[in-house]
Amino acid sequence: MRRRLGSLVRGVAPFVVLVAAWAALTRSGLVAEIFLPPPEAVARTGWEMARDGSLWTNIVASLGRVLVGLVVSVPLAIGFGVLVGLSRRLATVLEPVASFFNALSGIAWLPLAMTWFGLGWGSVTFIMLNTVFFLVFFNTLVGVRTVPRVFEHALRTLGGSRRHLIVQVLIPGAMPSIVAGIRMSIGFGWRALIAAEMIATSTGLGFLIFNAQNFHQTDTILAGIITIGVLWLATDRLLLQPLERWTVERWGLVSS
Amino acid sequence: MTARETVLTWILLLAGFFGAWSLAAATLPVPSYVLPPPSAVLSASRDLIVKGILPTYVAESVRRMVTAALVAFAIGVPVGVALGMSRRLAEFAFPILNFFQSVSGIAWLPLMLVWFGFGERTILVAVNYTVVFPVALSALLGVRSVPRIYVNGLRTLGASRWRIARDVILPGALPNIATGMRLGLAYGWRALIAAEMLVGAHGLGFMIFSAQNFHLTARIMLGMVVIGALWLVLDYFVLRPLEQATIERWGLIQR
Repeated sequence: MRRRLGSLVRGVAPFVVLVAAWAALTRSGLVAEIFLPPPEAVARTGWEMARDGSLWTNIVASLGRVLVGLVVSVPLAIGFGVLVGLSRRLATVLEPVASFFNALSGIAWLPLAMTWFGLGWGSVTFIMLNTVFFLVFFNTLVGVRTVPRVFEHALRTLGGSRRHLIVQVLIPGAMPSIVAGIRMSIGFGWRALIAAEMIATSTGLGFLIFNAQNFHQTDTILAGIITIGVLWLATDRLLLQPLERWTVERWGLVSS
Repeated sequence: MTARETVLTWILLLAGFFGAWSLAAATLPVPSYVLPPPSAVLSASRDLIVKGILPTYVAESVRRMVTAALVAFAIGVPVGVALGMSRRLAEFAFPILNFFQSVSGIAWLPLMLVWFGFGERTILVAVNYTVVFPVALSALLGVRSVPRIYVNGLRTLGASRWRIARDVILPGALPNIATGMRLGLAYGWRALIAAEMLVGAHGLGFMIFSAQNFHLTARIMLGMVVIGALWLVLDYFVLRPLEQATIERWGLIQR
């Protein structure tokens, strides 16, 4: 308990110093308030947005897109990844294709998405789906291929069917790689989503801060930026990192 | 699978892909701007290359990326290494760097637009910001990951602080730094494309975004292929070999 408190203090203290420096900078008169509003103004704006509900609407819109991206793309990507990974030949050929689409994933799809789906929910969600799919697909493929063949042969010799092979060897064996891919895909997807929301829709945190820029509302922008950072840190710390650690412990192939 | 089989499979796959695409473009009841045939993409690329638009835009994006990345390395590596040298300082700086890393440069873009206006500087700063934090963070972690015993070993032999930094800490941190550079550039390249779309001053991001206004879908697709291919070339021929080489040369694999 005492140690946890200590680590909490150590984690928070740097931010206290940072905010103090920020407050000192705004009070010194070196920068105009329109360029860098003081922390208390940002806090007030954040509080007002939280009270009138606009902050929550935008958070829900952004997180909802992330969730849709995950729920739809992750199972699809794992499915395709395992299927392709089953054939060594196909896997060798499709691996560079997958890494090409990884290199492309994210915001570069936006103009095409807007041509196909217009402005709004469709285009932005497509960006998220696309980013998650290719990263998880690639990592599943790589994960499946790293499962030592000896496990495959062992299961075959014992009379296991192809279904057994997939469910009991390939997916568990690829799990650490898959989960690492999911974590990475949320990292890339979240960034792409914020950018896409600035351009192609009128809800979400990306829209919130980009729209505020039109009116030079730097306090709203900063409140939005802080929300974006806190949301990501919370997701990563409370959900993704524990998940990754757990899968590595549970299924990681530690070869001795 | 032999090399010949690989090539053969590739040819079949590509032929199948382009065949299916052409067929779909020819038969699907959608306007041609929704799905232009491959031939349209080819002629668009010839057109853009002959007019010199594509080379100019590619050069512009690459120049921005290189400038922003070099500045980011020049700042991120020394700062990260310096912070990593002291355990207390590292513990203090880590949460802050981590926070700034997790807010992408694009999220700062609205604020940077207020600060620097719509122009070159905003793009460069946004990309620079995106690259610098992963680099600094991984340099810091790299320095911290150097086992104390090596530092102590050199110190008992009478080495100076500077000597320890040069011969132990920096080489020990290099594999981490290389990884951080690769991640930083991966984020930075995407941030560049997004920033060029939003700020709209030349470059590949601007090219595909403005093409969308005029339904020049073939041009969008061409731009996407170039964006993906440029990154792959950079990743396969520069970043991965660099990462591999540093890990092989200096990686501290502990048994």
